[in-house]
Amino acid sequence: MQRATDCVLKHGFVRVLYSINTRNVPAAINRVNSSMLCRKYTVLPPPRDKEEKAMLDSMLRVDHAGEYGANCIYAGQMAVLGRTQSGPLIQNMWDQEKIHLQKFNEILGENRVRPTVMLPLWNIAGFLLGASTALLGKEGAMACTVAVEESISEHYNSQIRALMEEDPDRYTELLQLIKEFRDDEMEHHDTGLEHDAESVPGYMILKTLIQAGCKAAIYISQRI
Amino acid sequence: MAALIRSLRAVRSLRGLGSAVVATTCPASLYGGLRRGFHRAALLASDSKSDQTVPPPSHHEHYQAQEPRQGSSTFSTEQASASDPGTQHEDPWPNTSYQDQSGEQAEDYETEDQLQARILTAALEFVPQHGWTVEAIAAGAETLGLSAASAGMFDNGAGDLVLHFVGQCNVQLTEILAEEHNQVQLGQAEKKKTADFLRHAVETRLRMLVPYIDTWPQAMSLLLLPHNIPESLKHLSTLVDDIWYYAGDRSTDMSWYTRRAALTGIYNTTELVMVQDSSPDFEETWVFLDNRIRDVVNMANTAKQVQATGEAVVQGLMGAAVTLKNITGVNQRR
Repeated sequence: MQRATDCVLKHGFVRVLYSINTRNVPAAINRVNSSMLCRKYTVLPPPRDKEEKAMLDSMLRVDHAGEYGANCIYAGQMAVLGRTQSGPLIQNMWDQEKIHLQKFNEILGENRVRPTVMLPLWNIAGFLLGASTALLGKEGAMACTVAVEESISEHYNSQIRALMEEDPDRYTELLQLIKEFRDDEMEHHDTGLEHDAESVPGYMILKTLIQAGCKAAIYISQRI
Repeated sequence: MAALIRSLRAVRSLRGLGSAVVATTCPASLYGGLRRGFHRAALLASDSKSDQTVPPPSHHEHYQAQEPRQGSSTFSTEQASASDPGTQHEDPWPNTSYQDQSGEQAEDYETEDQLQARILTAALEFVPQHGWTVEAIAAGAETLGLSAASAGMFDNGAGDLVLHFVGQCNVQLTEILAEEHNQVQLGQAEKKKTADFLRHAVETRLRMLVPYIDTWPQAMSLLLLPHNIPESLKHLSTLVDDIWYYAGDRSTDMSWYTRRAALTGIYNTTELVMVQDSSPDFEETWVFLDNRIRDVVNMANTAKQVQATGEAVVQGLMGAAVTLKNITGVNQRR
C-alpha cells in the first residue's frame, strides 16, 4: 500500500499503469490488493469542462470528509472500548475505514480536489460522537455504527445513481470504487446489527439524531 | 453587440472579396488554393488542443466569398475534399484572406471571447503609453484593423484588460512550471527544495509585471474595485493552487489551506514591495521575497517543534502521575 502511495505521490498527475507485485503481501489483505484500492492509475476521467470538474470535486470532497469523520468516530469508540471484549471488532472496522481514507487522500491529491474546510470540526465532532456513544456500552457503540454506516451507504447509493444517470461508461472506475466502499459500509452496518445494536435504550432516537447530523455534515461538506 | 460583430465580419469579408476578385484573374489562384490545403493539413497534424474551441456547426456562417471558377473548379473541389477535415478544426490564426476558390465554409469563425482576447492582447502594448484604460483597448483594436469603437464591447472597460493580463500571466506561469516538472520527471533537471521552488515560481510570475511596472499600481487598484474582486480573487487562488501543486503539495487536511494562505500573503506583499522598488533589477524585492519565504518555513518548523514538545510534555506528566500513584501506594490493590 505504501508503494502505491509513494508511486502516486512521485508521479503526480501522470498515469502510471503497471501490475502490482503481490508476492510478499500477507494473505489477509489479498482481497484488498485485487480490488480497486490498489489500482495505480487514476480513477477519474480527465474533466472535459468546468461543470464536470465542479461536480466531481464536490462528490470527492464529501466522500473524503465522510471517511475522515468515520475514522474519527472509530477512534473515539476505541478510546473508550479499546480494552474491552469488543475492542478487536471495532479495531477491525476501523482498519477498513483507514484504508478507505487513504484511498481518498490519494485521489484528492492526484486530482487537485480541495478538501473541505470543516475537517477540524468533523475531527472533534466525530471523536466526541464515538466516545459518547461508546460510554453507553458496547450496544451504544454498535448503534452509532449502524446509524452512521446506514447514512453513508445511502449517500454512496445516491452518488452511484447520479453517476449512472450522467454517463456510466465514462465513470466506470469511479463507480466501481464507490460500489466497493458502499459494500464495505453495508458490511459494517450488518456487523453492528448482529452485535445487539438495537438493544440500546433509546435506539430509535439515537439513530434519528445521528442520521440527521450525518445529513447536515454531508450537505455542508458538499458546499464548503 | 452581436450586430457589431457581424458588421465587422462583413467589412472583413468585403475586403476579402476584393482581394479574391484580384486573385482569380491570375493562375496564381490555383497555387494559392494548394498552399492553403497544405497549410490546413499541417494545422491538422499539429492541432490537438483546439477541440474545445470548435464552435457548434449551427453557428457557422457560410461565406460564399467567391463562386468557383469553371477552369479551376475540378482542382479546387479536390482540394476542398482533401482539406475538408481541416474545416472542422479551428484555425489558430484567423483567416483574413479570402482566396478561397472552393466556396467551403470559412474556418476563420471565432467566438466573441476569442475576438475579445485578441483585442486585449493587442491592447497590452499600448498600456505603457495610455495606462490601463479604455484608450489602450481602443488603440489595440485599431492595430487589428477594427474600429476604435469596438472598445465599447468591453462593458468592464479597463478592468477587463487587467483581468485578461492577469489570466494570461497565470497561464504562462502554469506552462513554465509544467515544463519544468516534465524536465524533472525525465531526469533532466534536479528537483528543487520547496522553499527554492516557491521563490523561483513567485519571482517568475512577478517578473512578468516588469514591462508594466510603472502603471501596475493603477492595475492593482482596478483589481480591488468591488465588481472586480470576485474574479481577481479567483485568479489569485488558481495561481497559488498551481504553484503549490507543482511544488509537490498533495495534502488533504488543513495544511492545504494554511499553505495557500501563507503563499497568498507572500505573493501580495512582495507585489506591493515590487511596485515601489527602485533598485536595479528589483534586487530588494527578491531579498524581501527570500526573507518572507524563510519566515514561513521557520514558522512551519516551529509549529512542528511545538507539537512534538507538547506531546513529550504530556507523556512526562502522565509518567509523573503514575510514579506519584506508586509512591503514595494508591496503585496497590488491598
